[in-house]
Amino acid sequence: MVRVMRVNNMKQHTAVSDALIFLLTMAAAVGASLPLKLVRDGGVYMPMIFLAAVLFIARFTSGYIYGAASAVGGILWISYMFRQPYYEFDFLYGDLVMFACMLAVALQTSRMTQQLREQEGAYAEAERERVRGNLLRAVSHDLRTPLTSILGATSAILENGDALTSERRTELIRGVYEDSEWLIRMVENLLLITKVEGAAQIVKRSEAVEEVVAEAVAKFQKHYPDSVIEVSAPEDLLMVPMDALLIEQVLFNLLENAVLHGRAKRIELNVLRSDGEAVLEVRDDGRGLQKADFPHLFDGYMGRVERASSDDSRNMGIGLSVCLSIIQAHGGRMEAKNVRPSGALFRFTLPMEEADDGQ
Amino acid sequence: MMDNKPCVLIVEDEHNILSFMRTVLQANGYRVIEASDAAQALNMIPSHLPDLMILDLGLPDADGMDVIKSVRSWSRMPILVVSARDQERDKVTALDLGADDYVTKPFGTSELLARIRTELRHAQTISSQEEAFVSGDLTVDFFRRRVFVGDQEAHLTQNEFRIVTALARNAGRVMTYDQLIAEVWGPNALSDNQILRVNMANIRRKLEKNPAAPRYIITEIGVGYRMNEG
Repeated sequence: MVRVMRVNNMKQHTAVSDALIFLLTMAAAVGASLPLKLVRDGGVYMPMIFLAAVLFIARFTSGYIYGAASAVGGILWISYMFRQPYYEFDFLYGDLVMFACMLAVALQTSRMTQQLREQEGAYAEAERERVRGNLLRAVSHDLRTPLTSILGATSAILENGDALTSERRTELIRGVYEDSEWLIRMVENLLLITKVEGAAQIVKRSEAVEEVVAEAVAKFQKHYPDSVIEVSAPEDLLMVPMDALLIEQVLFNLLENAVLHGRAKRIELNVLRSDGEAVLEVRDDGRGLQKADFPHLFDGYMGRVERASSDDSRNMGIGLSVCLSIIQAHGGRMEAKNVRPSGALFRFTLPMEEADDGQ
Repeated sequence: MMDNKPCVLIVEDEHNILSFMRTVLQANGYRVIEASDAAQALNMIPSHLPDLMILDLGLPDADGMDVIKSVRSWSRMPILVVSARDQERDKVTALDLGADDYVTKPFGTSELLARIRTELRHAQTISSQEEAFVSGDLTVDFFRRRVFVGDQEAHLTQNEFRIVTALARNAGRVMTYDQLIAEVWGPNALSDNQILRVNMANIRRKLEKNPAAPRYIITEIGVGYRMNEG
């Protein structure tokens, strides 16, 4: 429901701004034409001014109506003000030619504008496809490694069960356990991406930020019992519309990044309130982000190069691109930077008002 | 001797998951009976009278909800629901229908065992006879209607005390928003959990050292709250 209303709003919005562009441009053209009245034979330059106005209107409004209307308006104004007999409508053959030209310009420009818009849409769609493709490639690659090791370990146990020492067997089983844990989290992330892709499916409810933060931290510490996380939240209860499970996942991913990728010893998780939005930041004292990583931080490519040699960086890129999709679907912003003396800072915002959503 | 072991019915259609739960439960001193669908489960319960049922919400034949409703019409046997992470709403429905707690797939064995122990204990003791609840530094004195953190008394309002009491009497077990609201504001109260959230925020500020890292009352996002056991 909310979504439908917003689409209507946007349509109304463009209709209003189109009308405004039309009126202002026509007023400007009329204004510019008035001084020419004082010049002898000023009427000769008139068509030029209105041609420019028609071009401008056709380019920046949608549909054909405003462009055509401006051509009609222009011709009426010229005939009324600058043709003898003055101050009445009297059309000469030349006026008709002029009108035809203006109309042609208006229609052609409108059409080009339309085509341009369609191309932009197609380009954005292709870009989305490309990102999705990258992600899929990255994921398939990342899934294969732990699956291979699980298959290897379990078949080793099944086939050589008795020959293995019990320590060796425990070691293999622990490997299977860790790999499966990792796979499950990866799959959770992927499920979340599909959920976020259709932004309509995000159901936001007013949630207490401190509760979501606490839950994310508790869950994280179950997986990483040695991690040190310091949480701070404002004294006032902060209620923010969100899909709490998704935001919890964002926090989990950021915390996990800090430990796995940043090798952080100590992590701070701060909740702040700035005008109209909640700000959440995860700051660690680890080794920070590589300069080369920044361009690809959120698009699923992160850590792909190093991954070949060290497997602690796997999941990083996908985790972050999930974070970004989730935050964007909530109408928030996300940024990352390095902090002094060392470590990385990830910060994201969530609008507190439902109306700010997505804009 | 064997009959003294608590009997657990597992209703689960995934063979591998069933096998893993059976192994864990048997290794921890439970007798296990199994059903792979709802109809079979409903047949088995009256004849075996298990002490607890573990019910997967993703059964193929019938809705797990029907099993809960049907069992609840005549039995208070503890029901532990197993659900996937994105079945949040089903989870809440199941709890409000009378399931006692849930575990979310994927879950670890320690989590499963802890839930089972809690439920079996709650089924045995009549909690209203207990005088006080103690967890770490937190003491809830039901009779004198006072709450202490260490030796400091926490001054709770009437409603805050009711919430804490409800959670403490059900310690270790999740309570949904609706259950808490019914407990505090009566069964006909509007289920607007906003007021509950605000009360909870105030309670946390009175009981917890850091309300953003609570030790006593844990949030179960989208579901409700759970009091940590001692």
